Amino acid sequence: MRGTYWLRRLSQLLIVVFAVTFGCSLLVQLLPVSPAEILLPVGSPEERELLTKEIGLDRGPIGYYTKWLGEFVRGDFGNIYYSGGTEEVSSRLAVALPRSILLMIYTQVLALAIAIPLGVWSAYRVGRRADKVISNTLFTLSSIPNFAIALVLVLVIGVRLQWLPTLDYQPFSAGIWEHLKHMIMPVVSLSVGLIAAYTRLLRADMIATLREDYIIMAASKGLTDRRILWRHAFRPSSVTLFTSAALNMGALIGGAIVIETIFATYGVGFEVFAAISGRQYIALQSIVGLIAIFYVVFNLVIDIVAGFVDPRTRDRRSNA
Amino acid sequence: MRKRKYTIPTYFAFGWLGLAVFLAIFGSFLPVDGYQVIHGDFIDSPPFTAGHWFGVDSNGYDIFSGIINGARLSIFIAVVTVGLGGAIGSLLGITAAYYRGKYDSVVNMSFNVVLSVPNLVLALALVAVLATNVDINEAVPTWRRLVTLIISLTVVIIPILGRIARAATLAWSGREFVVAARSMGMRDRDIIKRHIVPNVLPALIAVGFLAVGVVIIAEASLSLLGVGIPDGASWGGMLARGRNDLEYNPHALYIPIIALAFTVISTNHVGDVLRGRLDRREGRL
Repeated sequence: MRGTYWLRRLSQLLIVVFAVTFGCSLLVQLLPVSPAEILLPVGSPEERELLTKEIGLDRGPIGYYTKWLGEFVRGDFGNIYYSGGTEEVSSRLAVALPRSILLMIYTQVLALAIAIPLGVWSAYRVGRRADKVISNTLFTLSSIPNFAIALVLVLVIGVRLQWLPTLDYQPFSAGIWEHLKHMIMPVVSLSVGLIAAYTRLLRADMIATLREDYIIMAASKGLTDRRILWRHAFRPSSVTLFTSAALNMGALIGGAIVIETIFATYGVGFEVFAAISGRQYIALQSIVGLIAIFYVVFNLVIDIVAGFVDPRTRDRRSNA
Repeated sequence: MRKRKYTIPTYFAFGWLGLAVFLAIFGSFLPVDGYQVIHGDFIDSPPFTAGHWFGVDSNGYDIFSGIINGARLSIFIAVVTVGLGGAIGSLLGITAAYYRGKYDSVVNMSFNVVLSVPNLVLALALVAVLATNVDINEAVPTWRRLVTLIISLTVVIIPILGRIARAATLAWSGREFVVAARSMGMRDRDIIKRHIVPNVLPALIAVGFLAVGVVIIAEASLSLLGVGIPDGASWGGMLARGRNDLEYNPHALYIPIIALAFTVISTNHVGDVLRGRLDRREGRL
């Protein structure tokens, strides 16, 4: 039973990857102009023909896609074409991907570290003043677009107070503090919305869990509230929270375009933007394909993790 | 037993949205200077300057006029995309959930495919492809940018609303009255029209308000990245322009931010209130 579940799940996710990448390659085909002409604006017809062959555009939609796919799985993400020469997309991603992954990890850690206590607390005090204050504040904060938070942070902390640098990324080798200083503002602007979303999810599930019989049982055994909340109620309430967190992991890699552009972090999101504004459609196709793969991987991971967090979901799923 | 219908924040939300829609429709008839009039004597003046309530930015554009004019594009784009995306999405979602089978799997899978790409990446990619010119130096006309923007954002919205429609239809189409209607020989089309749509619609409207917020933010983000409607014609466009000299002219930045934030808070709040009322309606059954 469980074997077939995983098989079906895996095939579903693989279809997503194929469909996304094929869709991208169709978009390249649908361009009103030949990509070779865009990539080599000053090239001679022979050079363009050579490029068309090299990319595989002369093979029709399916041929082009299979050629791209074959190279993609071997780690060749295509080239970025400048007027002076070419640059491999993979070498750019080798720089951008670690940045985005770090940004994503910091953001998730910060968001979860704040959201979990807040969610548990406001579920525990449901309907009381603490709950109302937390819920309303977070609701308002979650409605403010993250770029607005980013711009206000730049204005107040970066420009007026001059506490933190507003641009650029520093690697670990420049010192931990130097590295973190450049990350604080992007991470905070990305986290605010997530904190609100996570707190809300956890609060809702937690309220439902706290009504279950085994919680009443635990309370009547005389366990402390703190122990009940953290040891008995939190784990089964956290499945939705972690599912949503996993989905966001994919979205944060590549989806933080505006934040990465504002703070010049130059991660994957910025590469997407750069590929689009530089009309590098081959690069765009490969990067979007990579983002889709991340989405799928995180999806699978969360399925496995959910089974550990709440063993009940395993049976529920294999029956479904 | 029943408490008052709406709380004070809800009145504020409705009030703000009403104002924004009013400005969007009648803004151009108000006795205010056009947003592209340059007030050379007032460059960089702060808010509350006589004649320029919200101040003037460093290009000499009056921010109050900008906000009024920007409401038109921001609201127009949001309403059109959510309307279009909602119509297409709910058509797909409702029929998929009602007929089930292969068609349902295909529709559901397509929603998942589109949702697997981050919103902004998808919108950016579509805008880029649809607005491509042969000559990179040739400017893309505004109407084409607008159409491109609307198509791209609609594609983003379709799966968001389509999924809600599908889930709601799945829940309703198993109900007794639908089974009864079917066993009496009612045609599928009529069942969908008479029994499914009226029940699914409230949920869709609630999420539709949230989707308006999503679109407004997406449009502003695209403008900030320089692929939206240029020249500060929308709130996002004003942000993009104000960002360049935020050190000397912060109000050119924070006033459009406030306008955007108020609008999104309002749509989210209204969507939330509507959803809450729905849950209560369901709870009574």
